[in-house]
Amino acid sequence: MDINDQRCTGHGRCYEVAPALVEDDERGYGIILHPDAFPAELEDEARRAARLCPEQAITIRT
Amino acid sequence: MTDEKTETTESCPHMEGRVPDRGALWESYRAADDVYQDENGVWQVTRKETVRYALQHPEVFSSAKAYNHIGCPVPMIPLNLDPPNHVRYRRVLDPMFAPKVLDPIEPELRRQAGDLIDRFAGRGHADIVKDFAELYPTQVFLTMFGLPIEDRDQFLRWINAINGGAVHQTGSDLTEHDTAATNLTEYLRGFIEIRRRSPGDDMFSRILAVGGEDLWGEDEILGFTFLFALAGLDTVTGELGFVFEYLASHPEIRAEITINPGSIDAIVEEILRLDPVTPRVSRMTSEEVELGGKTIPANSPVQLMLAAANRDPRAYVTPDAVDVQNVDAGHLTFGGGIHRCIGARLARRELRIVLEEFHKRIPDYKLAPEADRSVVWPSSVLGLSSLPITFPV
Repeated sequence: MDINDQRCTGHGRCYEVAPALVEDDERGYGIILHPDAFPAELEDEARRAARLCPEQAITIRT
Repeated sequence: MTDEKTETTESCPHMEGRVPDRGALWESYRAADDVYQDENGVWQVTRKETVRYALQHPEVFSSAKAYNHIGCPVPMIPLNLDPPNHVRYRRVLDPMFAPKVLDPIEPELRRQAGDLIDRFAGRGHADIVKDFAELYPTQVFLTMFGLPIEDRDQFLRWINAINGGAVHQTGSDLTEHDTAATNLTEYLRGFIEIRRRSPGDDMFSRILAVGGEDLWGEDEILGFTFLFALAGLDTVTGELGFVFEYLASHPEIRAEITINPGSIDAIVEEILRLDPVTPRVSRMTSEEVELGGKTIPANSPVQLMLAAANRDPRAYVTPDAVDVQNVDAGHLTFGGGIHRCIGARLARRELRIVLEEFHKRIPDYKLAPEADRSVVWPSSVLGLSSLPITFPV
């Protein structure tokens, strides 16, 4: 799971819908907690965060 | 009402004045074309994909060029800026609305919401706009800036004079606008001076604490404060009106809130999508650009119709109704790209707090027979001037 810092503007939707996968930094921008691999049971949550990002800044590589 | 159509749609492609059906109004923009130049020479952009593209390309669709003539005595930072200057301000301002800042004040904001609702909860009737929605966002603003809540009504009079004056830019109204702007500026300067000497846990103190190359001058602080007051008060007032209008006329959604308060966030998102209070944002092209199959020349005024894009049938399963299936598609009510609404998280938090506190006290209510649900179009911020409801006591 990856976040494009150039696209992220801090809407904060990702850490609201996927708190186990994304945390907010001091500005309210998203930080990916497991950039290399996240637990398989969280895949739905991860995809939801990616879909909900208004800037389409989150990508999930499989 | 937002999920129903009236028969006026086809006969009146450019509704103006008091509009009863917002869904039909936004549909009329989409029906004209995805991208088109209207009779005033303004380029209208009406679909989700095209609006989103424009929002995410500020180098072509400039906000600075479009917003530099708002009637304001100080620069409206950072709305009036494009990159790279914009970045400097957002770096300082974004943290002011971060969850880490909002979480600690939530209990106080919740208490104030409850107090306002308690004043009419035993009465059996209320005007949601007059008795709550016009007051609460101003109290939130005053709380965040560390200003006295007792100044609420004076503060509201200034803001109303400034907003009213900006709409009719002629004759005596402009004087009233100027006087209010001057008085508000002096009022704020006084508090900035106080916070300079004795910092507290408030927005002024946080901005004043910023040093180095991000250091802000007094005019910059005032400009941002003005923008917050002009963009963060009547918008939340308007949205609260639309939220309660929807809930008062949709008992099944209201019941869902009472049975499952966890559904509030999704319901709020859907009403935000259906009824954005700022239905459009302005941009100016800095170069010739292709959008939606049309060529827009350089230096053209462009309006991004967020409200029309939010009900784009190409993007949503049930575009004109509150439906949890739509939630994951998101919406453009808070804009997008570098100028996305910086106060979105605060607005969402206010809406959630209010719905939770309200439904704890008043779970069942309906629109009073005299309720007028029309809005004035065009206007920069939409809202109901009154929303009378009745409820069992």
